[in-house]
Parts: sequence; C-alpha cells; structure tokens
Amino acid sequence: MAEPPSFRRHPHPFSIDLIRWLPSSTSSSDRLLAAAVHDPAAPSSSHLHLLPLHDPSSPLSSLPLPSRATSLRCSPSVLAAATSSGSLHLLPSSFDAAESAGVSVPGGAGFHVGPVRGLDCGGVGGEEWVTAGEDGRVHVVGGGGDGRVVARRLWDGKGMAGYEAARWASAAEFATGGAGCGMQWWDRRKGDAVVAQCKGVWGRGIVTGMVHSIDIHPSRKHICVVGGSSGTIFAWDLRWPQQPIPLSGLGLNGTAQPVSESEVWEVLFDNYTQSSDIISSASARILPVMMCSEDGILAVVEQDERPLELLAEPCAINSFDIDPQNPSDVVCALEWESIGVLTRGRDTMAEE
Amino acid sequence: MPGMLMDSGGAIVPFSGEPGLAAAAAPPVRTIRHGVTPPISRVYVSFSSGNLLQVACLRPPNPEGGGDRGEEEVAGGRVVEVNLGGGGGGPAGADAEEEIDEAEMRRIEYGSVPAFALLQSRKNALADGSGMSRLPSVSEHAEWWQYVLEYSKTIGSLLGNPDSLPAFMIDDPEIILKVREKPTSLKAAWELLEIFFVDKQLQTWLPERLVDWLADYDSLLTKTQNTIYRMLSNFQKKLINLQVVEDDPDYWSGLSAALSVGWLDIVVNMLRFHGSYQLDQMDSRETENGLVEAVAVLVSTMPRMRPDLPSGKLGQCCKTRPDFIKALEKWRGQGFEGMHQLAQKCIQLKPSADNSGLTGLLTGILSENTEVVLAECTKNFGPWMVTHAMELLTADNDYADMMLHEERPNFGGISIEELHRLVYAQVLCSHALTWQIAPTYLSSCLNQGLGLLEILLLKQPIQDNRIILKTLEICRLYELENVSTNIMKIAGIYHWKHGRKGTGVYWFQQANDKVRLDRIAQQLFEHIGKSVTDDSFKQWEGLLELLGSDIGSAGGLEFLHRYRDFKRSLQMAQEGRTAESVRQTVEFLIQLMRNPSTPQRFWLPLLHDSVRLLNCKPCPSLSVAETTLLLNKLQELSLAKLRPDFSNIHLPSHALNSVRLALASNLARAILEEPSQKRFPTTELTGLPLFCFWVYSLSDIDTNASARNAHTLTSMNTLTLTLLL
Repeated sequence: MAEPPSFRRHPHPFSIDLIRWLPSSTSSSDRLLAAAVHDPAAPSSSHLHLLPLHDPSSPLSSLPLPSRATSLRCSPSVLAAATSSGSLHLLPSSFDAAESAGVSVPGGAGFHVGPVRGLDCGGVGGEEWVTAGEDGRVHVVGGGGDGRVVARRLWDGKGMAGYEAARWASAAEFATGGAGCGMQWWDRRKGDAVVAQCKGVWGRGIVTGMVHSIDIHPSRKHICVVGGSSGTIFAWDLRWPQQPIPLSGLGLNGTAQPVSESEVWEVLFDNYTQSSDIISSASARILPVMMCSEDGILAVVEQDERPLELLAEPCAINSFDIDPQNPSDVVCALEWESIGVLTRGRDTMAEE
Repeated sequence: MPGMLMDSGGAIVPFSGEPGLAAAAAPPVRTIRHGVTPPISRVYVSFSSGNLLQVACLRPPNPEGGGDRGEEEVAGGRVVEVNLGGGGGGPAGADAEEEIDEAEMRRIEYGSVPAFALLQSRKNALADGSGMSRLPSVSEHAEWWQYVLEYSKTIGSLLGNPDSLPAFMIDDPEIILKVREKPTSLKAAWELLEIFFVDKQLQTWLPERLVDWLADYDSLLTKTQNTIYRMLSNFQKKLINLQVVEDDPDYWSGLSAALSVGWLDIVVNMLRFHGSYQLDQMDSRETENGLVEAVAVLVSTMPRMRPDLPSGKLGQCCKTRPDFIKALEKWRGQGFEGMHQLAQKCIQLKPSADNSGLTGLLTGILSENTEVVLAECTKNFGPWMVTHAMELLTADNDYADMMLHEERPNFGGISIEELHRLVYAQVLCSHALTWQIAPTYLSSCLNQGLGLLEILLLKQPIQDNRIILKTLEICRLYELENVSTNIMKIAGIYHWKHGRKGTGVYWFQQANDKVRLDRIAQQLFEHIGKSVTDDSFKQWEGLLELLGSDIGSAGGLEFLHRYRDFKRSLQMAQEGRTAESVRQTVEFLIQLMRNPSTPQRFWLPLLHDSVRLLNCKPCPSLSVAETTLLLNKLQELSLAKLRPDFSNIHLPSHALNSVRLALASNLARAILEEPSQKRFPTTELTGLPLFCFWVYSLSDIDTNASARNAHTLTSMNTLTLTLLL
C-alpha cells in the first residue's frame, strides 16, 4: 500500500530562511506551517508567515520581525522566533497578526547582542525557552507569572564561545553547541553549569567544526545527535562523553559514504524511518536521523547503514521539519525562494 | 555633485525642467526621508547597484569643534538608498498585462541554472571527446541540437505553463476566443528561437509551427496595430449584440484573417455563426446553408504539412512533402485558392513600427541575420534572455557559433558570449538573493570569469556565519582554496574586533592563520604579564582553551597552558588546602620554573602567586632542592635586573621581599624536616649558602650591593646557619 513519495515546490517571492510545522488542533486538513521569510528589497524585510499546507504560497497572516530570523521553534501553544539582532519573540502558535503581537524580549546588552541561533522549548513545565547566542550568552526565558516574560542569564561567555544551537534534554538539562567549542551539556541542578563537554568528531580532518543543529530523542535523553561543518553528523552519548559516534562525514572512520560534504544545517530524529535493526533497537544503536544540507541533500542517516537520500536539490536546503503528528510528511525551505513539501509513502519506508 | 541649498520650502535642489521643453510633463517627485535635521549643506547623489540610488545628506561641519560632543548627539548626515524601480514614477511603457515581476524573474533565473550547467558540462565533455559514449549517438553533430532542444524545453517550461490549453475552443459555440493565462513576450521570443534555430524536426513543417505559435502569441505582436487576435476578440465582444452576423463586415474580415494564418478551427467555428444555421432560417436558406457548410467542411479538411495535430484542431495531417502536395492539389481541386506564404503574411500584417520586440525578432530570424536577433534579444528581453538564448543560436549555426565565440580585442579579448554572460552575472550579483547562482555563469567564462568570481566571493558580507559558510561552499566547489582562506581570515578579524573572540579564533584556526594566532597568544601573554593575580583568569582561560594545544609549537602557548594548569591548581589548593592539591601545585610551579620556555619576566609573578603556598604551615610545601631551584631563579632575576633590556613587572615593590622571606622560611623548615639533612646530600650543600645569601639580602640591602658582595657569602654562611639552627 506504499504510495510513491511525492515532492512539490511552492515558489515564493522572498527567501524562506526557516520553516516549521505548527501543531494542528484536530483534523489533518487544516495543517499549518510557520515560515521565517526575508525580502531584502522590502523596507521591513523580515516576517513570520503562517501558511496553510494545501497552499503554502498564500500566507494566512504575517508578523514583522525587527531583523532576519535566526531560529524558529514551536511548543504546543507557542511559536518562538529569535533574530539576528538578538531579540526573542513569543507568539500564540495560531497567531493572528491583527490581534496579537505576542511578547518579545528585545535584543541588546540585557539579553543577546547579535544572532541567537540556539532556541528550544522545554525545561520546567515545558514552558521555558533556552536561548544561546553567538555572543556566548545563554538565557532561560520563562513566564514571570503576570503575563510578562522574564529572561534569566545562565552564562555569559563574553564572546569566548559562540553558540549556534541549543536543545533541552530534560527539565533541568540542555545541550548547546557552537563554533570551535564543540558540545556542552548543562545541568541546572548543578549551579547552571556545564557538566560535560566534547569537541565532537569532524570530517575532512578538522580539529573542531561548527555545530549547526542538535536533536535529542525524547526516549533517549542521554544521546544528542549533532549536525555541523563538512557534512559532519555525530552522536554524543553522555555515558561516554569523550567518544562521540560518527554517523556521517568526509573522511571519518566508521561511517559509510558521507551523505553530504558541505554544511549540515539541521538534524532531526526521524520517527518515520524504521530502524533497519529492529531487534537491537533498544540497544545503544543510534536511531535514524534526517538531515538537510547546503548542497541540497535531504536524507535519512543511520549508524552503519547507507544513507537514504530523499531529495537532491540544485540549491541549498536551509531548514526542514518533520510533521510531529504525521511523520511521513516533511517540509523544507529551499535556497531558491521556495518551500518544498515531501510526502513519503504512508505505510512503508519510502524508496527512491 | 553637491547641490546648493535653497531657502524656500525645504527644497534642496531646484528643478526647472529643460528650457526647450518647459512644462511638457511634471517630473516624477519622490520624497526621501533622510531624517537629518536642517540645515543641510551638501547633497551627494550616486548610483549604487541595480536601481538603487544613494543620496547622502550632510550637515555643515560644526564650527565650535569637538569640545563637548557628548552634549549634542546630532548626526552629521545620512546616506539614504532610494529604489527607483518599484512604485510610481517608474519608466513608462511597461505593459502590465504581460510584465514579469522581479520575484517571477528570479524564479526563472533559479530554474535555468541546472539546465545551463548541464548543457555546459555536456559541451565540455563533447570538447574533451569523452563522456558522451554512453549516450546513443548517430553523429556528434546530430546529437548536439537534441541536447540544446532538451535545454530549450526545460527553460521554456519555466517561462510559462507548458500545458496551456489551446487559445481557442469550439466547445461553446458562442465563444471564439478562450480567455486564458496571459502569454508573455519572453516565452513567445524563446519559442520562436527554438522553432527556427534548434528544433530540426520542425524544419519540414515550419509554416505550420508558426501558425501554432501565432495562435499562442499573436496578441503580443503589437500593442498599437491591429492583430488577428484583437480583431477576433473585438468581434467576440460585438457578437452578443449582433442579430445577423453575416451583415457585419467584421465577421468576414475576421474570417479571412483567421483563414489566412490557418486557424481552421476558428474559421469553421465562425462559419457556423452564419445566420443560415439558425433554426427558424433553415427552410428558407437551405441552399445558402449548404454552401456555408460545404465551405466549413472544406476548411476543416484542409491539408496541413505536419506530423500531428492537437485535439480540437482541424485539418488533415500530411507527414511528407509529396503527400502534402498531392493532398493540396486534391483539396484545391475542390474549389479553393491556396494559402500564401504564411511567414510573408505575418510580416505584411505587422507594420515594422512596433514596440513589442517580437516583430523585430521575427524579422531578424526570417532575414537570417543573427546579429539582429541577438540585438533584439538584448534590447527587448535583457541579459537573462541573451545569455540563455545564445545556446539556441549556436545550436546548429556555424556562423553564429563563430561570431559569438570569436575573441575580440575591442572587448578586452573576450568573446560576445562571454561578455553577455559576464553582464548577466553582474545582474545576478547585484541582488542579495541571486548572487549565489552567479558563479555558475562566471565559471563558464574562460577569460575573466574566475577573476570576477574571486572578487564576488571576497565581497560577500562576513557578518553572518551562515553567509560565510555559504560563500565558502562555493569556494570549495570551484576549488578556490586561497579565496576561502582569505575569507576566513577576514571573518576572523571581524569577529575578533567585535568581541566575539571565540568565533574569531575559530575562523583563524580554520584558515590556519598561524601569524594571527601567534599574535593573539602574544596579546594574552602581555595581558597575563600585567595582571597575573587578577580575576580575569577566567577570561583568558577561555581564550587559551580556544587556542588549543595543537599550536603549542608556536612558542609561548606551551607556557600558557602550563601556567593555566598551575593557576587552576593554585586556586584549588587555596580553596581546599589539601595536602594533595598543594603537592600538585608545587609540582606545576617547579615544572614551570624548570622549563626553559617560561619567560623570565614571569618568574617573579609566579613566585609571588605562590607566596601563600610557601607560607603554608605546618609542613613546608617545597623540598630543599625545590626551594634551592627557586632561589637560584630569583637570584638570576636579580642579576638580570641590572641589564638594560629588563622588562619591569607591574607588581608591588614588596613583592620581591615577600617572596624572599617566604622562600627563606620554607627552606629553613625544609632543612629541619628533611631526614636527608643528616646525610648532607649535594643539593643541600649548594642550597645552604644560597639560603644564607637570601636571608642576608632580606635585610634591605640593595640588590646591587648584594651582587657585589656575593663573594663574601662564605663568611656569612656560618653565622646565619648557626642563627637558624
């Protein structure tokens, strides 16, 4: 009963920087997407758009941002966007531009200076946002109880480290990664400090690369999967923090043919692809991971397996998201001003 | 040029129009919000990339000078960018019904990249004489136009809906012309070039192909003159109010026009509007109706020399010329005059004074004048069209091939093809979203492409790491390693200067920039030298971490790493004060003092840092031998002080004395406690005189004096020893 995978491109008149599925209320007919868009020709150049899946070319609503969005995440109720000028914007996930502007934390000395690349929802009650910026600062932003948001600074690296990604693992733990500083594991119970770190394992013989994206599977909170420079994807298991497991990368031992040789922009665990090794899936084997890259690859990477290439586009895939409610559907942001919607066969694993 | 300031109305530059053409048309006025508080003394205007105009408004320089500038924060001026393209006041004559907007044009530009790149790589493979073997080959020449045709079809599909329905339909008898998506001149021109220059299959039925083309694009041929399309659509509007169509001359002229270009389905459809078909007329006009129907049948069976017909189109297809001639003779024999040369008709129908460009293009094609075709493409359709259409022109035309590829000294040694590609690449570079596809075209330019590509890559903004990485990816694809190294260095400097030291060092490391990394290490050195006991430890510790150990060979970094270990250990020892941590710290200290890479100017700060450690009771931290080593170093330092190149350490003046005292007391206790004392090992023997020397020098005697009196040590020796024991 496997339908062949289908792929559609929807052109837009501006750059799509980031794209996410919004949690939908009930049926699958009204599924919505959130996209961070940028139009260098327009005076107010950056916006958040709310798009219907059936026609992603016509936004339902639009909200201006002070600068280009650098990260975009959804929680069940909140859509959050951080920008290159260091601000954070929290909106109800079914935002309506007319009535709600949401709340925001302005960029600047009191928060972040410069791009905020790491953003994730989690923490206590699942309502705290961790932000990590290229300025080396890490904040936790949460409700102040009176409808306002309060940003609490956990760490100020004073520019000594530049963070590019952040992800919650549990209510008290989160992981960050950045340029040259590898991966860090933070524990809020231990004085908001880094309790473990690792340089990572990088392709093309470089000592340290740049981490672009981290994902942590909810069922295995001690394992991060990391995507970064030179087509590198590795897993970091906290139980063996000094032995990162290479999954893909140029010239990395222990990996199959690298799926990409350029920047891996985003990684996500792919619940849709069944691990080919079902018996040992409860073991230490890393679950399948989907990735997108600068050289236009969207693929599923598995430990000790040949990568499954889903798309090979002539332009970069800057961002993608797997529909959490229907993981066969994937949406991606293409460099050439378009949104791609990939539908994999409903019942079996998609084949080329 | 700076304009003069006018007194009235805030206008800066007066405008009075051309003297001869006064008040012909009001100039388009654009308001610029520059936000500079008046008075404004100078205005500079210059063109930026694309349609951007840069306007700089400057205030007069402050005559009071910069004495207290904090009081008044007025900007001295501002540069405003004005986009002349969008909105009102744009160039007139843009035809709204078929205009391709910027975003749509970018979509076409993006889409044509893979097709262009594929064709270039095929061309290169063909030139190499390899790589084509796996493709079914008749002969190389015959193959090439097929590749170009494939390319042309791909590009053509970008320009409009490829499966657009026929323009006219017969489903609804009351409708002659079907309303559909507006065709664009760009697509019309592209298809025209494809028909005449690429598709060899079409050569035998070219006129018929032109008929099809006219059916799609006739409406675009002119905006001022009448076209058949317009004639028919006007008649269509009229049709509703007409009782007796055959009484209207437009009916007949429309019929003959449609027939002249071979739109048989339209003709038959229109014939059936004839009054004799109406039910109430049937009886009285039977003969007339029979005649009209006979004409309609004849028209619908007119032989056409083409392989097939789309559904809904009328006529009989004849695949070869003899068949066609035979069919035509037979058909003519049924009582009709033949058709004229269709292409000739098209030209006659359209007067040369025209503004759409399609007619000019058509004239150029029919007169087999490649230069005119190229010029028309350039004039009417812009750089994208020329760049991509040149592939069509050269598909099977040796003259065009030679003309476009000949290197011309008056173009700086490049060919016309390269010139147009470079121009197109410049257009792409001028937009923030399309610059990334320019390298595809630049890399196809053999003479100047790579040089411009390097310039393009080096000019990309380096503020955003993602953009840097995208630029570096292009460098990787085109194997421009030196360019990528330069970009990384520039990025490193930018981030370093903006306080993002981590990112800065990261880029220097990626660029393998030993010079700058060493300089950073040097800065660290100086920083540490100045405030060694400071709490800025954390700051430079992080930096040291970033610099890593792999460049330790670069010199001072090895020392910095050891120093870092020592400082950490010292902190732990002072907090925890366990015997273990104290021992560890002492080991680090001794290692540092022994190591020749430890610069002399750090000796005293190191010892000064350790004073508390040395004074730690009850047991001495350092053994006799270790203390002796430190004492030796301190003495060496005292002697070095005499040299002119000695660099002064920013430490309190009593630092030296407190170190001496600490060392002395430590040594005293060490001598007492060490069991080896009884065996009088050699180290101790050398240690004792030194110890005495230091105690001696403690009594505020000038170092110079002590140096001079060094030989008197022996006499002092016995005295002090007795004293302490």
